[in-house]
Amino acid sequence: MNSIVAEQPWLWAGLGSYFIATLAAMWGVSPRSQNSPLVVNKKHEKLVLGFIVFGVLLLSAAIIARWIRIGHGPWISLFELLMSQMWSLGLVFAALYWRLPGLRPSAVIVLPVMWILGTWVLALEPGISHFPATYYNSWKWVHVGLGKMFLALLLAGVGLGGVMILRTTQRGKTWFRAMPSNMIIDKLAWRLMMLALVFDSLMLIAGGVWAQDAWGRYWAWDALETSAFLTWLFLAIGLHVRLSYKVPAWVSGAIIIGIFAMAFSTYFGMPYLSPSAHKGMV
Amino acid sequence: MFSWLSRLSSLKFTLAGMILLGIGAGLSYGNPVDISVWVLIVPLALLAINLAAAILTNPRINRQPGLLIFHICLFTTVVLAGVGRLTHLDAHMELALGQEFHQNLMLEVRKGPWHSGNLDKVAFTQGRYTVDYAVGLRRGLTHNEVFVPDTAGRLVSQDVGDDRPLVIERYRFYTTFNKGFSPILTWMPDQGQPITGRINMPAYPLYDYKQDNRWTPPGTNEEIKFWLQLDTGLTMEEDWVLDGRNATAVLIVTSEDQRIELKLGEQTRLEHGVLRYDDLTTWMGYRVFYDPTIQWLFFVTVAGVFGLSHFFWVKLNLQPWMDEDEVDVDESAEQVVSKKTGV
Repeated sequence: MNSIVAEQPWLWAGLGSYFIATLAAMWGVSPRSQNSPLVVNKKHEKLVLGFIVFGVLLLSAAIIARWIRIGHGPWISLFELLMSQMWSLGLVFAALYWRLPGLRPSAVIVLPVMWILGTWVLALEPGISHFPATYYNSWKWVHVGLGKMFLALLLAGVGLGGVMILRTTQRGKTWFRAMPSNMIIDKLAWRLMMLALVFDSLMLIAGGVWAQDAWGRYWAWDALETSAFLTWLFLAIGLHVRLSYKVPAWVSGAIIIGIFAMAFSTYFGMPYLSPSAHKGMV
Repeated sequence: MFSWLSRLSSLKFTLAGMILLGIGAGLSYGNPVDISVWVLIVPLALLAINLAAAILTNPRINRQPGLLIFHICLFTTVVLAGVGRLTHLDAHMELALGQEFHQNLMLEVRKGPWHSGNLDKVAFTQGRYTVDYAVGLRRGLTHNEVFVPDTAGRLVSQDVGDDRPLVIERYRFYTTFNKGFSPILTWMPDQGQPITGRINMPAYPLYDYKQDNRWTPPGTNEEIKFWLQLDTGLTMEEDWVLDGRNATAVLIVTSEDQRIELKLGEQTRLEHGVLRYDDLTTWMGYRVFYDPTIQWLFFVTVAGVFGLSHFFWVKLNLQPWMDEDEVDVDESAEQVVSKKTGV
């Protein structure tokens, strides 16, 4: 049996905290609990926000513990990337949850999506990863930071997109009764998509600068670059469609989820499916 | 004329171009040799025409400064990327310790038809290098010394390597994993003048197991095979530094049916002359890159994103993100008709 390494207890505690936040969010939309004073008074929202923030703090501790243990940040292995994404997705969603009350019930969609990463990270070995020479470059921080913002905004959009799709059913209408109309939700979701496009564009630029320094070319259509470009293009197409045509709310939601699925495969699929994703990785 | 331009600026045209570009990008994945670059050029050209027409005719674009800046920058990015390909130069090169750069040393040179850089003004001399390896022979930092002449002609030492290229006259020289050892040999033929040169062995430590090469002395058909038995202290078990100063090597020379082991300074008699093993040195493999548009690309793309951000900022500030009174709605929310439309 493998021994437990320094970051694992913090990671488990952080995921546990997210789990409680998920349960509280589900309780908040449950028709059975709608007469509970905690739900009526929206106190459950404080509980959700509190546990997401607590989870972020615990994951911060996990990242720091790993950083100290292996000597570098969460840049390389899937284990550390997933841990780091759980942290940044939680952090940005907590900020949006706090600032945009109308979005809050969508936590019942956002948090389970995060659980895909949470479950995945639990299945991985926290082995020590090698820090390649090209990762000493400072542009890595800019590229990765912008990428985290991009994915987190997309995820928040997925929550709203999911609401619009689920509202085509009676059950969905009941669950999300406390949310504004689809028109408002749709508007908010695409605002998040607009911001996502800005961060995605900046991420690609920063990635190009890093790639130029690291590998002597700013763009080479490697697996990750191609996938990242297609994600950007899908997002641009989605925005053009949304700004120019009237699309039903559920279609709008499906477009957002499609863009997120593309981004998700870029982040967590391509670098590990293709051995030549980014040459600096090996 | 105007209606013709308006038709060219159609959003349907934009979407079709984007979808074609997406298909082209998918086909270009990994730069396959059997896929023509036209799969990208055609949709990019269509989008450029569409974009130019939209900038001229579409008030939604040309009356909103942020959006106008973004689309002009997008157009300029495509143009710059095209100019970059027409003026670029990509090549590889191997330089031995003490060797001066010369453009004739570049291999696999690929350059655009408009390439006109000052390659003849590029001057530097190769110095020593070290490469750090972590346990398991995983490559770390490269410290590669080069000597670059300053304005007074004095050679100034510069440490380059990995993501710190040597940049001269906009040419960027990147160290690569491809580096290794070279025995320096003197060939003293039975007839003619002695010649001294080096034979670059395959990349080290990547090809640690096959440090061999072959050479045919001029004027003979006697192929000589060389095998370098290196002792560099290479280990997988702990951290290790590749440093030519710590390396020694025995050179095994095979010619016809002769097999001779040479240590430094030793020589041997072969069929057509005498071969002496003078020294052991190192070589560094470089990737050479030139594209005069990269700085402009950076500024234009960043300006484009700022334009986009400005457009969104103005647009998002015109309407609240979410009206507070619209938040706490009940089951009838579905029927609420907001006067606010759009994003």
